[in-house]
Order: sequence, then structure tokens, then C-alpha cells
Amino acid sequence: MSQPVPIILVVEDEPQMRRFLRTALEVQELRVVEAATAKDGLVAATTHNPEVILLDLGLPDGDGIELARRVREWSRVPIIVISARGREADKVAVLDAGADDYLTKPFGVNELLARIRVALRHAVQIASPQGAPILEIGPLRLDLARRDVRVSGREVHLTPIEYRLLAFLAQNAGKVLTHRQILKEVWGPNYVTEIQYLRVFMAQLRRKVEIDPARPVLLLTEPGVGYRMRDD
Amino acid sequence: MAHGDVEADRVGRAGSGSSRFGRIGSALRNGAYSVLLVAAATVVSVLVRRYLSSTDVVMLYLLAIMVAAFAFGRWPSIVAAGLSVAAYDFFSVPPFFTFNVEAAKHIWTFVMMFGVGIAISTLMERIRLKEREAETVALRARTEEMRSSLLSTVSHDLRTPLATIVGAGTALRDEGERIAPAQRAELIETVCAEAERMERLIGNLLDMTQVESGALVLRRDWVPLEEIVGSVLTRLEQRLADRCVVMHLPEDLPLISVDPVLFAQVFVNLVDNAMKHTPPSGPIEIGASVRERVVEIVVADRGPGLPAGAEGKVFEKFFRGAAHPGVGGVGLGLPICRGVVQAHGGTIDAVRRDGGGTSFVIRLPLLDAPETREPHP
Repeated sequence: MSQPVPIILVVEDEPQMRRFLRTALEVQELRVVEAATAKDGLVAATTHNPEVILLDLGLPDGDGIELARRVREWSRVPIIVISARGREADKVAVLDAGADDYLTKPFGVNELLARIRVALRHAVQIASPQGAPILEIGPLRLDLARRDVRVSGREVHLTPIEYRLLAFLAQNAGKVLTHRQILKEVWGPNYVTEIQYLRVFMAQLRRKVEIDPARPVLLLTEPGVGYRMRDD
Repeated sequence: MAHGDVEADRVGRAGSGSSRFGRIGSALRNGAYSVLLVAAATVVSVLVRRYLSSTDVVMLYLLAIMVAAFAFGRWPSIVAAGLSVAAYDFFSVPPFFTFNVEAAKHIWTFVMMFGVGIAISTLMERIRLKEREAETVALRARTEEMRSSLLSTVSHDLRTPLATIVGAGTALRDEGERIAPAQRAELIETVCAEAERMERLIGNLLDMTQVESGALVLRRDWVPLEEIVGSVLTRLEQRLADRCVVMHLPEDLPLISVDPVLFAQVFVNLVDNAMKHTPPSGPIEIGASVRERVVEIVVADRGPGLPAGAEGKVFEKFFRGAAHPGVGGVGLGLPICRGVVQAHGGTIDAVRRDGGGTSFVIRLPLLDAPETREPHP
């Protein structure tokens, strides 16, 4: 097996946190490169070409958002931001600036690994898109070629918009999508502020796809941020 | 507090609000009362003129000025002083019923009367200021006391899980090898669970300070209630795993205008509260309905219910019902709910249920969601 070990770049100023992340990731046979400042982080990103970047938003010398933007100028590497509780606006800003997902402190190891797993999977898909025609996520079976949607075997009839919405979420399963990103993808760039409408459509979709729309298993809501399709 | 404010306060105390008109109204009223006092003194002095010497009459007026100073404030008492001199001159100094004076010595009396009147008024003002200062000092002392008892409650409540974590952690570090694997696993689980508990507590403390400081910024959005409830159930998934959650959310419930993050926290706190006070077999019910322009949202349990009379107390900071020992929580969840719901213009009440248990009822005014144009891609 000559596949190189994936490199995770950790940009985090707290040494205890870096230690925890290094330990948790190395156990999973991932190689970890550390940076304690935004500046070092940028340098490390260009030097090491990591597979995933873990970026703390509370860096002493700069704005995580700025770092994410800079990296995005030349790389599509998945960026997972680490942010503090209650800063939804910051999370949305950095996600819209190009970050892929977020972790809220304090987070556990399982959540961390789940995010990284999803990020790595999507990175692979972007690098070598195979246009997988059939997506199977939990009870959902989505045949993209035939536009066929089944939930637990039962066929579900969706309107064209509902289908696009579901497909977009499914193709990004496990990853958070902001309201803006979804609106832009499904409706177009002119509609990125129609969040209310997105919510109404999501409610309709949930009713068609979920057994109990008030207790969703597939279409998860991230309050103040957006939506995420569960992938485990 | 500036001197002027004291005046306004005093004037306000005579009974109206602090609005501009209220203040002018009070000032006029107080002035009128002063005039009445002087009038009363005058009437008395005229009626008993035969038995009183002029000194006594002057004293009567001084009394009126003093009462005015005490009850109505500085300016009314100065008015009283001026009026008293005039009234004294007019009614009690010969020639009566004129402002002329027979003898020049009366003018001296007028000057003295006015001067003493002003002095009294000033002294009274000082006394009142001192009173108010003492009140403020007492209030500050009480606040400090409350704050330090709060601090001690909070640090105690944070110390408790921390003590467990330190204990378990050091045991693992120092005796780890000698502890049986099953127990080691338990200790590790304890560390994680207690850390989570601390996290919840700290979250509640932060929310509470936000609510109290009035710094709650609402980012309102039109949201389906179902979505908020769903996000909360997802978030509490693990803890709700063995629980029965029953929902009555009508499909046609209109969108509500709320801050989704804050409102989610309200539900988290209500469900958390229900879990704390009911056995795992007890169902937690969440329902909603619309009644006459009010959206009514209910989170109910079949627990032991609230003690009689505690329906209001339960929303007070640090109130802890007769919870089972080890239930934890510092008693801030419900006050936070109330703060957030009130900030949204709604109300929240605790009601005892027939058949046992408690219902928390949130009422929000129903607003009409704006017409949105349908985006067609």
C-alpha cells in the first residue's frame, strides 16, 4: 500500500488543544502538522499541502476567516473550523468564505473524526469526480441518473425543486451547508437571502422524506447556520 | 445621581411618572399644595389673631414653609417662603389687607422670615439627599451581598462536577494500572459525563448573564416550529435515547418569528428540565396550537409536578425544586427560558396538570409572515 498518509494541518494556538488533536489524529494513522498562528498556518498550508486543515477561529494574530479566504484562492483543501459556542454569525461567515464545516468547542473525539472523515471523502470526490449515480445514505436511496428517490424502499415523489434540494444535500452528506450555499445552488445567486423560503421548502421535504418530520433522522437542522444531511 | 435628578425624583414621588408632562404636572401640583399650606397658615393666623402675637404668626408661616420643604421639595418651599411673606404682610401686618407697612421694623421681619424659610428649605434638601444616599448605599450593600452569594453558589456548583473530575482523573493517573478495566472505563465515563455537565452549567450561566444584562440580541427569522423542535431533539439525541417523546405539532402551524438559536435553547432547557424531574419511563410531550392570534407551545411531563404555589417561583434564578439528589443543574434553565420568551414578546407559565405532572406553556403573539415571492430557478 503506497498511498501516502493523509496530512492534517492543525492551526491552533492552545498547546493543550494541539496535543489532544495530535494524539487523537495520530491514533487514526493521520499525520499531523501544527501551526500556532495564522501566519504560520498559511506558510504550513503552502509547504505541506495538507489533505485537511483544522482551523481555530480564535487565533491571536488574525482572523480565521481571512486565512480561509487566502487558502481558498489557490486550493480546494477541506477546511474545518473550530469555533466557540454561540458564534453562529462567525461560523456562517467563515463557511460562506470557503470553509467546509465546523466544530464547536468543546467537542468530542467522535465528532472530530466524523468531520474529518466527511471532509476527506469529499476531497476525494472533488479530486476525481465519478459522478456516482446512486447515493445511499441511511434509509435514503437516490438514483441521480434516473431521478429516483426511495426512502426505506418506498418511492417518494418530489417536485423538481425539492429534488434539487435533496440531491444537493445528499451529494454533500455529512457536511454542513449554509442557507446561502443551498439557496445559491438550488435557486441561483439572486435568491441567496430568501432564507424563509428555504425553510418552508425544507419543511415540505422533511414531511415527504422523514417518518417523523419533527424528529428528523436524515435532514438535520443546524440552527442559525443551515442544514446537514446525516451520513452515519 | 445629579442634584437635579433628586428634585425630579422628589417631585415624581408625589405620584406621577417620569415623563416630561408628568414632571411638569407634579411640579404644578406641589406648587399648588405649597400655596394651600400658606393659605391654611393664613386662615389660622387670621382666625386666632386675637390670641396670637405677631411672633406666633411668623412661626405659623415658618411651619408651613417647613412642611412644604419636607413634603414637596425645594422650589415649592421657596415659593411658600415668598408667599408667606406676602401673606403675612397682607393679612397680619397693619394696615391689614394692604401691602403697606406701618412700621419699618416689619420689613426686617419679612427679610428674616424669607431668609429663615430659605434656610429651612436648604436644610430639608440636605436631609433628603442624605436619606437618599443612605438608601443607595444600603441597596449597593444588598446587591453586593447577593452577588457574592451568587458567586459562592456558582463556584460551589461548578466545583462539584470538578471535584469528581479531579478525583477520577487523578485516580486514573496515579492508580490506573491497578484498577480493573471495567472500573477504569467507569471512571473515564464519569470524567466525560461530569465535564459535559459543567459545560451545560457554564452555558446556562452565560445565557443568564446575557438575559439579565439586557444584552440579548434577537436575530429573528420566520421559522417552522417543527424545525426548531427537530434540531433540539437531534442535539439531545443521546440523552433522549431511552425516552418517549410525544409530539402534537399540527401540520398547518404558521411560521413563528423567533431567533432560532435562542428559541432552540429554550426548548433544550425545557426538555432538560423535564428529563431531570421525571423517571426515564415518563413521556415528554411537546405540542403546539394556535388560538386567537396566539401561538401556544406546550412542553409537558408526567413527573411529580410542582408543589402548590411554586408555579411562579420556578422561574426565579437558582430555584431548585425537590429534585432528586445528584440531579445537578444550578436552577437557571427556566429563568433563561422566561428571559428569552419575554424578549420575544411572549409569556411562559408553569401549570400543574390534571393527573400529575407539569406543563410549561409558552404563548407568542401570532404575527403574519410576510408574503415571499416564490423563487423560481
